Amino acid sequence: MKDISISINKVDNISKISGKEAYVGDIKLPDMYHAKTFRANIIKGTIKKITYPNLPKDYYIVDASDIPGKNFVKIIFDDMPVFVENKVSYYGEPICLVIGKDKTEILKIMDGISVTYEEDTPEFEYKDAVIHYDFNKGDPKYKESDDLKLIEGTYDMGYQEHVYIEPQGMIGYFENNKVSMLGAMQCPYYIKNAVLSILGIEPEEEEKNSKVKVKQAPVGGAFGGKEEFPSLLACQLAVAVNKLKIPISLIYERTEDMEFSTKRHPATIELKTLVTKEGDIKQVMAKVSIDGGAYKGLSGVVLQRAMLAASGAYAFDNMIVTGDVFRTNTVPTGAFRGFGAPQMIFSVEMFIQHIAKTLSINPLKLRKKYLVKQGDTTSTSGTFRDTVIMPDMIKKAMDISNYESKTTKYEKLINAGNSVKGYSKDDVYRGVGMSWFLHGCGFTGSGEQKHIKAVVRLAKDANNQVTILIASVDMGQGIKTTMRKLVAHELEIPFEQVTLDDPDTDYVPDSGPTVASRTMMIVGGLVLEATKKLKKQWKDNEEQLIETNYKQPDYVKWDDETLIGDAYPAYSWGVNIVEVEVSKVTYQVNLVGTWSVYDIGKAIDERIIMGQCDGGLLQGIGYGMLEVMNHKDGKIQQKSVTDYIIPTAKDSAKMETHLMNNPFALGPYGAKGAGELTLIGGAPAVALAIENAIGKNVYKIPVTPEYIMELMNNE
Amino acid sequence: MVILPKDYKHTLDALQDEKLTIIAGGTDVMVKNRNWSGLIPRVEGNSINIFQLNELSYIREDESGLHIGAGTKLEELLNSPLIFEPLKAAVREMASPAIRHVGTIGGNVGNASPAGDTLPILYVYDTVIVLESVEGIREISIFEFITGPGKTTRKSNEIIKEIILKNIDYTGFYYEKVGGRRSDAISKLSFVGLYNADEKGTIKDVRIAFGAVYKTIVRNHELERQLLQSLNSEKSMEDIIDEYSQLIQPIDDQRSNANYRKNCSLSLLKSFIQMAGGN
Repeated sequence: MKDISISINKVDNISKISGKEAYVGDIKLPDMYHAKTFRANIIKGTIKKITYPNLPKDYYIVDASDIPGKNFVKIIFDDMPVFVENKVSYYGEPICLVIGKDKTEILKIMDGISVTYEEDTPEFEYKDAVIHYDFNKGDPKYKESDDLKLIEGTYDMGYQEHVYIEPQGMIGYFENNKVSMLGAMQCPYYIKNAVLSILGIEPEEEEKNSKVKVKQAPVGGAFGGKEEFPSLLACQLAVAVNKLKIPISLIYERTEDMEFSTKRHPATIELKTLVTKEGDIKQVMAKVSIDGGAYKGLSGVVLQRAMLAASGAYAFDNMIVTGDVFRTNTVPTGAFRGFGAPQMIFSVEMFIQHIAKTLSINPLKLRKKYLVKQGDTTSTSGTFRDTVIMPDMIKKAMDISNYESKTTKYEKLINAGNSVKGYSKDDVYRGVGMSWFLHGCGFTGSGEQKHIKAVVRLAKDANNQVTILIASVDMGQGIKTTMRKLVAHELEIPFEQVTLDDPDTDYVPDSGPTVASRTMMIVGGLVLEATKKLKKQWKDNEEQLIETNYKQPDYVKWDDETLIGDAYPAYSWGVNIVEVEVSKVTYQVNLVGTWSVYDIGKAIDERIIMGQCDGGLLQGIGYGMLEVMNHKDGKIQQKSVTDYIIPTAKDSAKMETHLMNNPFALGPYGAKGAGELTLIGGAPAVALAIENAIGKNVYKIPVTPEYIMELMNNE
Repeated sequence: MVILPKDYKHTLDALQDEKLTIIAGGTDVMVKNRNWSGLIPRVEGNSINIFQLNELSYIREDESGLHIGAGTKLEELLNSPLIFEPLKAAVREMASPAIRHVGTIGGNVGNASPAGDTLPILYVYDTVIVLESVEGIREISIFEFITGPGKTTRKSNEIIKEIILKNIDYTGFYYEKVGGRRSDAISKLSFVGLYNADEKGTIKDVRIAFGAVYKTIVRNHELERQLLQSLNSEKSMEDIIDEYSQLIQPIDDQRSNANYRKNCSLSLLKSFIQMAGGN
């Protein structure tokens, strides 16, 4: 049999590249109405009075008073309202939808809405802790003494915005007596459950007589931004469709999306260690603070991911890890590729370098000494069960990039007085940085077993055409290609004999959300299991239906209360090396090259994984050096693609990437998670490269020229 | 309403009749007046679209200088052998290929943004702006034409017809656009310096301009005279740099901060002075 990794054409290449793909904003249903969100224009306060203008015929306003169920977006906590009732908690919070056919008329109606507020003092600082977790590892009993030095480092990160191709958008319509949703999403069943909740329909009732359906429209990138946020649009539309029984489209403008949709959590991470002067790390303490914005949303789970990554790719014997989600009067933050890990891995990678510098010991030696080995315990006292091939990966990355000779050379240059300001345009500092990282695959802890309970089906028709029935979304990561490839390969039938459509909750079972690097490893694993069953029971030209259900591997033991045990069934690993030049005149950073090695188990399609590798790394580097987003008095300042700077092709460099072959016993053909891993190492690698170039410690990202200037002027 | 004039004369007549927003490439007008997608931009009053007027698209040279028709596309500047290298250097780093193919040089001047990328170059070339109305032609120096962010002395019946760059000699050229990334970025600041030295190395002329650090482009003839003297006498430049520091008054905004803009501008100035052989 052919090696499954050998690449085939991605099935949506032509439709995407030619521009023919119809995204949700391109879809026009007959007689469709438009909706626009009317938003609060204060940051915090209470609505005293709201007056709507007289509406022309066929124009409508839908607000909190139209909600049949309870007014919140069902996700984890019952905290974020679908429409403001009277309490405003962030600037731009939705109050109502204005609906009609003529957009100019809609805007006129919006201008005619008058709201009287009573304003409160907003909170922007990390003061109002709404979720707290802590756990210890080993016996963290050490105190600062003559033999044990206390080293500290505080690391800061700002927002990151997803900038997916098409902004958030959803179309709601009434068909076959069902409130139906069609839109850009990662999680059809999250949306379905949220819609059921807002309409006050009990799940048991829905089982008997379905009243809601959700269908995915083509998605042009999501990066986590379409995990929980689309549920808000769907709930608003569901309330409107339930009341009016008309088709309505709610499509965000780019600026509206950038200003009011979720983003990566800003964070402050304080790390401390007690260490001997020889570099014997006795104890590590991590205190994580993340900005959840006005509502909790998924922030607790994001916080957990961050905390679980507190030892990075290293194993320390004794740890104290604490963390809080802080509520502020800002736009709610949410899921973003990496989900808390990018913040923590950045901090840990900088910190271990800073420890070595403080002690004047070789950073590489210190890092190697604590690098995870098979059998080591995780930060939560679980076990790294599988082979860890990081030493081979590190060696490979260092060899292909000449890492060691470059670091030494650049360090010598800066120490030999090369920090004297240059006055030629071509005069640059040079630096190289290396990050080591891992990412737990699938939901944290017992999430898969307790909450998701994935179900997968395969349906074969009388013509032997096999249809994959899963709720997973192709958002560019290529599952429309790889899932079909997986089934065709196992059954040894042509690729065309396998079908996978965009999920529709009327037809597909709940195989869980398309998140957490779980789709190939968990859902793909179940698809392969079903395929094997089908192969065994195959009856030519007969209809067959196979179902498989998720079962947690027996060895995974996890305690949700204490956060102790195996947080993940498997880990993917990576090494990034990044080389930069920093202008001595303007401090602008130029990317020279990147070298990466990944262990994602086994690629189901190599070219698709390479796409993840290039895109993920560039998104991570953007996070590390370019992407500035902040708020001023609760208002996002960079709300267009002109002002929010993501890397262009010209900002990129030659990227050399290698995949290791290290199949995971429980993954399909050995595949582990890949989607998030590739982003995580970018920021620390580029920050360490800049640190190496300028000879100053870096404590925050993005490392902008403005920040570098500050560092250089602080002698 | 959008008027589509049949020719240049029709344009002048239309401008005489009423106050119109002139749209050439539209790369500023469309963005500034952005509306809910599917609706036409929120341009105040009526506008006139001169995008298709070939009469304003030309590049020619004579003894008075280099004449560029206001409707010349930025991309066309890059393709013309007549265009001076400093202007090409600025255009090459402007916006994106798509915008360079529709954006015009007249639009960049008329938009009068302190961050307009061709402007520092036009300032060092002592550019003259040629305006025309049914009343006739008026020539005005770019220094007097642009009075503040988005503000010019163009009268509502006038159109920018042409810009004339003086032909100047230079032996040294320094240009730096500092944007948030390597392409498709609005300048945080920009700097251009030109000098001309004779065979003996004596500097005969020096010109400097800064973009995006004041209400208009910063160019100061008196400081250039002092700089020229100092360059030829090996005097310290500190006083001159201090004087420039007074003129550079940038702001904090969503793209950068005043401190960086100022310090970086001065670093570029010092860097240029060193290139010109000064201290």
